[in-house]
Amino acid sequence: MKTSRILSLIAAVAALAGAAFAQKPVELLNVSYDPTRELYVDYNAAFAAHWKAKTGQDVVVKQSHGGSGKQARSVIDGLRADVVTLALAGDIDAIANNARVLPSDWQKRLPNNSSPYTSTIVFLVRQGNPKGIKDWDDLVKPGVSVITPNPKTSGGARWNYLAAWEYAKRKQGSDEAAKEFVRKLLANVPVLDTGARGSTTTFVQRDIGDVFISWENEAYLAKKEFPGKGFEIVTPSLSILAEPPVAVVDRVAKRKGTVEVATAYLEYLYSEEAQDIIGKHFYRPTSKKAAAKYASQFGPVKLFTIDEAFGGWTKAQKDHFDDGGTFDQIYLKK
Amino acid sequence: MNTSRSTARAATIAAALTAIALAPFTARAQTAATAAPDDIAALRAQIAALDQKLKVLERNLEIKDEAAVAEAKKQPKITASDGRFEIVSADGANSLRLRGLVQGDARFYFDDANAATDKFLLRRARLIFEGKFAERFNYVVQPEFAGSTVSILDAFVNTAVTPSVNVQVGRFKTPVGLEQLQSDPVAFFNERSIATNLAPNRDVGVQVFGSVLEQRLSYQASITNGVIDGGNSTPASDNNEGDFTYAGRLFATPFVNDKDSALKGLGFGVAGATGNYRGSTSATLLNAYRSDGQQNIFAYRTNTTPTAANTTVAAGTATVLSPQAHYYYGPFGVLAEYFRSSADLSIGSGTTQNAREVTNTAYNLSVGYVLTGEDSTFRGVTPKSVFNPSAGTWGAFEVVARVAGLDIGDEAFIDPAGAAVSLAAANNATEVASYGVGLNWYLSKTIRAGFDYFHNDFKLAKGNTVPASGNALSDDEQVVITRVQVSF
Repeated sequence: MKTSRILSLIAAVAALAGAAFAQKPVELLNVSYDPTRELYVDYNAAFAAHWKAKTGQDVVVKQSHGGSGKQARSVIDGLRADVVTLALAGDIDAIANNARVLPSDWQKRLPNNSSPYTSTIVFLVRQGNPKGIKDWDDLVKPGVSVITPNPKTSGGARWNYLAAWEYAKRKQGSDEAAKEFVRKLLANVPVLDTGARGSTTTFVQRDIGDVFISWENEAYLAKKEFPGKGFEIVTPSLSILAEPPVAVVDRVAKRKGTVEVATAYLEYLYSEEAQDIIGKHFYRPTSKKAAAKYASQFGPVKLFTIDEAFGGWTKAQKDHFDDGGTFDQIYLKK
Repeated sequence: MNTSRSTARAATIAAALTAIALAPFTARAQTAATAAPDDIAALRAQIAALDQKLKVLERNLEIKDEAAVAEAKKQPKITASDGRFEIVSADGANSLRLRGLVQGDARFYFDDANAATDKFLLRRARLIFEGKFAERFNYVVQPEFAGSTVSILDAFVNTAVTPSVNVQVGRFKTPVGLEQLQSDPVAFFNERSIATNLAPNRDVGVQVFGSVLEQRLSYQASITNGVIDGGNSTPASDNNEGDFTYAGRLFATPFVNDKDSALKGLGFGVAGATGNYRGSTSATLLNAYRSDGQQNIFAYRTNTTPTAANTTVAAGTATVLSPQAHYYYGPFGVLAEYFRSSADLSIGSGTTQNAREVTNTAYNLSVGYVLTGEDSTFRGVTPKSVFNPSAGTWGAFEVVARVAGLDIGDEAFIDPAGAAVSLAAANNATEVASYGVGLNWYLSKTIRAGFDYFHNDFKLAKGNTVPASGNALSDDEQVVITRVQVSF
């Protein structure tokens, strides 16, 4: 009698819980870097429709954006992200190493080292290119005001920094020369925003600076959204192949019961529908079909990878951006 | 004369200042008129450079402000309002809210041979610690400081498994009595009705609760150690043979979402609890019943005469059922409930001596009307104004009335089977009729004064004679209970 009463109660509770679970939309938090706001607004809608059609379940994806390094710090500090879609692998490595909420080999779990798209760094200049900016050398000339975010907090800024470094190193032949080159470049930076979107605001809306070292997609977006300002895009002779990665934050997703949908959310980034959305937002798709479709919208540029130039993100982070790295050596002296 | 001289002086000074102010512009205009194109270009470049510098300064200030705002968001928030103090972590996942309840009474007993003494009384003095941790776990710890010892009233943690399913673990109110489940500071009267004598109170266990159908139906189901009739769990009450008590409550508010419906405030339901209880002569698991004036008016026999074997104890199944309802419409509110409580009792533990089932019943019908027009709700009255005579505001006033009754089953006194051994102590009421009227004055959201008058008619058990003066039942009870309450 006693056992049957308990079983009845458990069954009733389970039925109620089951009914409630069935009705509730699942919610994901995507913690991303600064310029991806518009991309993920469109992508989230596409994924929600895809997931609903596939499973019948409603999914709501909340977005959080900021400087990539800053966002990684927030996740390490406890921000309950189901997925992270950051500017560089080093930031997700930092989450894996410091918070231990995902395995250190997270990058192997999805194609292309978990980067569903690539991008690069270009220059955005004002109408008519009044300072005659053509390549990296023009950015260190006296009187040229350069806009780039803070590499301590922004993933985009780290790509910028390393692209400039490698350009100078190849041209002048040594790390010391590269360091001096970057020092001169940073001396021309009047405002250090914490993220790429902040730098866009500084250059585009506050009319500060002669040239903005920008994510390629951000530069095209600014050009498209502010046609009256006549911005021009200058593609440097050498730039870096940026591979923004994505990962499920395993421990958070497990606790929230969202592993399945979070994984599907990232996997769907590789679908043709998602790759088309990626191309529309001026990121470089990894699928051949979408890449071919959108190839004409990008200027030709010689690209190098972080691995070949700096031995990977871990080393680059340690040498240049950790406390006491080259950035601190240059910038603290400023 | 003096006026015209000072006017002329003012005009001269104004002309001089104007000339000084305009001098640079005049000079610049002359310069521009004679300057070479290179000079103009240089001036333009200089202005552009200054403009850039100004913009850079402004932007850097903007970034500093943004950084300060972002930093502030990382700091815990401390708020104090209406006497409530709260600390919330920056991410909102953890919080501690400090609340309190203090009730000071003055009680006056009239025309009484039953000799209850007039007195001031600290009825309740509670600090309530509540909040959440790890985002989804809510907690309440409520110690009671009034009385001779400090005790813990509530101590539980709950979490929402889904919006409709919450799980609660700890010590909490058993989900049976409607008035019992209403927070004490917001009840119509200073004391709950005599019907609540039959409602199990706080107990230790686990509860599942929530609401479905868009809040139209709420449910509670609990498994607890078990307490009978108005009791709170104690360490002794944990010893009832290891059997648990099962309680459940379904309460419908079918029109709760119909904003303009006159039935929006209608709620009705049924609750009940059942469990197996085995008391001992040292821990009978039975409770005395009290009048509105908080005098004991009924108790079961204890081991006073001649031996422990003459003590009445719980000896089997106890069950309570309670249909209940409330209705609130504008300033009007009514709350009604009925209890039927039956329990297997015997004299002496481990025996079947005089074993029999005793069934008691009770009811409560309370109404209230807020004279100042505020809404009456199950969660109380929020005054539109606070007491401030200089501003001509006096807070809110509410009149309340109540009729309630308690009927102790005859079998408690006389064994129907013929063994005429009463389970009750001497001098007990078998029926109580209670009438009450009152006035509540809400001086602010946190301060309430209550003035209640209660009349309790006692009917003695068959064969009992009216006790001599000095007993609670020597005469009907007439009592005025006044209270000042701070609840935040």
